Amino acid sequence: MKIFLKILLAVALAISAGANAKEIKLLNVSYDPTRELYQDYNAAFVKYWKAKTGDDVVVSQSHGGSGKQALSVINGLQADVVTLALAYDIDAIVDKTHEIPADWKNRFPDNSAPYTSTIVFLVRKGNPKGIHDWNDLLKPNVTIVVPNPKTSGGARWAYLAAYAYALETYNHDDAKARDFIKQVYKKVPVLDSGARGSTVTFAERGIGDVLLAWENEAHLAQKEFGADKFDIVTPPLSILAEPNVAVVDKVAKKHGTTDVAKAYLEYLYSDEGQEVAARNFYRPRNKEIAEKYAANFPQLKLVTIDDEFGGWTKAQQTHFADGGVFDQIYQP
Amino acid sequence: MKLNQIWLATIAAAGFATASWAADGDVTTNSTDAGEVEALKKEIQALEQKVNGLEQQQAPSQSSDQVQELDQKVRVLERLRENDKDDAAAVAKTKPLVKLDSSGFTFSSADTNFVVGLHGLIQLDSRTFVDTPPGFKQGNDNFLLRRARPIVTGTVFHDFDFNFTPDFGGSTVQIVDAYLNYRYNQPLQLEAGKFKSPVGLEQLQSDTWLFFNERTLANNLVPNRDLGLELHGDVFGGIASYAAGVFDGTTDYNGTTANADVDNNVAFAGRVFLLPFKKSNIDALQGFGVGVGGSYQHDEKNAGNLTPGYRTDGQQTFFTYAAGVVSDGRHWRISPQGYYYYGPFGFLGEYVISDQQVSSAVVTKQDLNNTAWEISAGWVLTGEADSYNGVTPSHPFDLGKGQWGAWQVVARYAELNEDSDALANALVSAGSANEAKAWSVGLNWYLNRNIRANLSYSHTQFGDINGTANAVTSKAENVIFTRIQLAF
Repeated sequence: MKIFLKILLAVALAISAGANAKEIKLLNVSYDPTRELYQDYNAAFVKYWKAKTGDDVVVSQSHGGSGKQALSVINGLQADVVTLALAYDIDAIVDKTHEIPADWKNRFPDNSAPYTSTIVFLVRKGNPKGIHDWNDLLKPNVTIVVPNPKTSGGARWAYLAAYAYALETYNHDDAKARDFIKQVYKKVPVLDSGARGSTVTFAERGIGDVLLAWENEAHLAQKEFGADKFDIVTPPLSILAEPNVAVVDKVAKKHGTTDVAKAYLEYLYSDEGQEVAARNFYRPRNKEIAEKYAANFPQLKLVTIDDEFGGWTKAQQTHFADGGVFDQIYQP
Repeated sequence: MKLNQIWLATIAAAGFATASWAADGDVTTNSTDAGEVEALKKEIQALEQKVNGLEQQQAPSQSSDQVQELDQKVRVLERLRENDKDDAAAVAKTKPLVKLDSSGFTFSSADTNFVVGLHGLIQLDSRTFVDTPPGFKQGNDNFLLRRARPIVTGTVFHDFDFNFTPDFGGSTVQIVDAYLNYRYNQPLQLEAGKFKSPVGLEQLQSDTWLFFNERTLANNLVPNRDLGLELHGDVFGGIASYAAGVFDGTTDYNGTTANADVDNNVAFAGRVFLLPFKKSNIDALQGFGVGVGGSYQHDEKNAGNLTPGYRTDGQQTFFTYAAGVVSDGRHWRISPQGYYYYGPFGFLGEYVISDQQVSSAVVTKQDLNNTAWEISAGWVLTGEADSYNGVTPSHPFDLGKGQWGAWQVVARYAELNEDSDALANALVSAGSANEAKAWSVGLNWYLNRNIRANLSYSHTQFGDINGTANAVTSKAENVIFTRIQLAF
C-alpha cells in the first residue's frame, strides 16, 4: 500500500510540475512609493534571470501603505516576496502566519535591507515659509502634510524622525518631545493612508506648505511635477530608514518559486540592483555607487531606530499600538 | 472704508466752515465764492480718488490672504472627501458577499478565502408498473421522495473545500457525501472522506443530470460512494483528468452506503479520462471524452462484501447470491467508458466487468466474471447544448412570455450478465435471473436550470433464471416513471 501511495504521489507531482513548468510568476508585495523602483528593477532582473537560466519570469507588483500590505499578506495575499517599509511589518507576518522564518533578517546582507532612505521636507518653490529644520514646522501658518503612522511605514519613520529631533533638542525630555509632536500633528489637516497619497495631497491637490516625505518620494515628486514647483530641504537631523525584504517561504514553496524569489532579492545587492536603487533616489549600500550618486544624498545626522527608540518592537508598542503615544496626541 | 469716511468728513467739515464763513460775508462776492466751492469740490474729488487708491492698495493683500485660507480649506475638504470615498471603496471590498442565483445561496468573504454554499436536491418520483396480470405487481405503484438532500459546500482558508450532504429521501436517512478536499492547485488535489469511488462514468455523473430517473443495469457492477483518500486533478487545461485513491472497499453498487468497513482490507480505485479535442478548433470533437476506471480489492470471507442485489430500472432486485455465499479473495473491476456531446445531441456509454471470488459451504473458491454495458442517447429538441453537466434552457419557462424551457428526448439500452458459473455452482438464490436486458425511452422537460420534469418508460426482461422465477423475474418489468425535480 505504501508503495502504491508513493507511486501515486510521484505521478501526481510529476503531472503537476509539468503543468506549471512553462511560466514563472512572482508577486512582490511592497509599500507605497516603491512603484517606480521596482518597475525599473523588475525589468533588470527579468533580463538577468533570462540570461542566467533561460527562463522567463513575470513579476507582479502590489503597493499600498506598508502596514496595510502586511495585513493583506497575513490575510492570504499570496506574496512570493515582501519588500516593506520597515522590519516591524515583516515581523507581523512572521508572528501571524509563520510563512516567513523568524530569522529572516539574517538571510540577506545588511539586515536584509538592500538600500536605505530617510525623511526630508518637500516645500513649495522658494521655500516661502522658511522651513529648514524640524522646529520650523511649528511656525504660525505652516500646514504640514504627512500620512497616517497607523497605516503607513513612511509615516512612522517621519513621526520618529520628528520625535528624535525633539528628544535631541529637549535633552531627552520625553514630555517635551510629546508636546512637540502633538503640536506638529495639530498642523496636519489630512492624514492619508500611504506615502503616495500624501504626495498627491501636497503636490497635486496643492494642500499644505511642507510634505514630510521619504527622500526618494520627494525627489520623485520634484521629477514628476517639475523642479520649478518644489524644493527639497534636508534637515540637519533625521532618521535612518531601512526598508526590508524577505522571501515568503511557504508561499514561494507552494508556487515552486523559492529559487527565483531568493535570486530576486539577492540581485538587489548586485551592482545593477544598487544602481537601480540609487537612480530611484534610494541610498545604496554599495559605497562606490553611493559615491557616484552622492549629489543626490546630502550628508546629515541620521539617528537609528535601535539607538533612539530601542528597536521597532518597542517603538511600535510605545508609539503606534492602539492607545499608544500617537493615539494620545492626535485628535482628528 | 474708515479712512475714506474720515477724509470725507474732514473735507465736508472744511467745506461747511468755508461756506458758513462766505455766507456771513458780502453777497456780491457770490461769483468768487462759487469758484472757490467748485475748486473745493475738485479738491474733494481728487482726495477721494487718492483715498480710493490707497484702499485698493491695501485690500488685495487682505483679501488675498483670506482667499488663500479659504482655498486651502476647500482643498482640504475636497481631499478628505476623496479619501473618505477611497476608504469606503476599500471597506466595501472587505465586506462579505452574498449571492443567490440558480446555483444556490453563496456566502463569501471579500477575498473569497472563505465560502459557504447552500444547495439542495429534491426529487419527487412516481413509478407505475404496467402490463401486469391482475393481482400481480413487481413493485408498488407509488409516489416516492427519491432524493431529498440539503447540500452544504464551501471553502476555508482558500485551498480547503468541503462538502456535507445528507439524504432524507427513500426509506433511510444517510450521509451521502462528507469530504474535505485540499486544492494545492487544479492538477493536484487531495480528497478525504466519503465520496464517489472513481470508477463508473454514469455513477460519477451528478444525480441531477442523468438522462433517466434511474441509472442503468451497468451501474450495478461499479462501486457507489466509499470512504478513503484520493489524489485527483485536471491537467493540461482540462484535457485530462485523473483520480487514484485508497478506500475501505465496497460492494458492487449499493444504494445504501455505509460509514464503516466490514473487514480489514482496503481497495484501490482509479480513473483516467481524456477530452483529447477539448482545446482543438474542431467544434464537433470538443465534446468527445474517453477513459477507463477500475478498482482492486482483496476481500475477506464476508457476506457483507457481496452485492445486496442487482436491481432493475424499477429498483426491484432480480439477482442475489444464495444464502451462505461470501466474498473470498480478489475483486476487481474495470470500466472502459466514454461520452460524446455535440450541440443538442449527447451519447454516453460504458462497459463494466466486475470479477469477484466467492465461496460457500460447498464451493471452495469460485471466480465470477460479471459483465454489463449500456448506451444512452439524448436529443434536446429545442436546440440547447447537451452536456455531461446537464442542459440549460435558452428560454426558461415563462407563460407570460410564451417561453417553454428546453425539451429533450432520451433513449437507452443496457444488459447485465452474471457469470454462468454462479448458477452452475449453486451460488445464486432461487428465482434470481442471471441475465437482464432493458431498454428505455423518455421525455425530459427543463423548465429552467433549477426545475425539471421527466416522463419515461422502461422495459426489462430476464433470462437464465435459477429454478422457478420469483415475483420479480417471472415476467418482464414494464414501468412508467415520472419525476419533478428541484435542484439549486
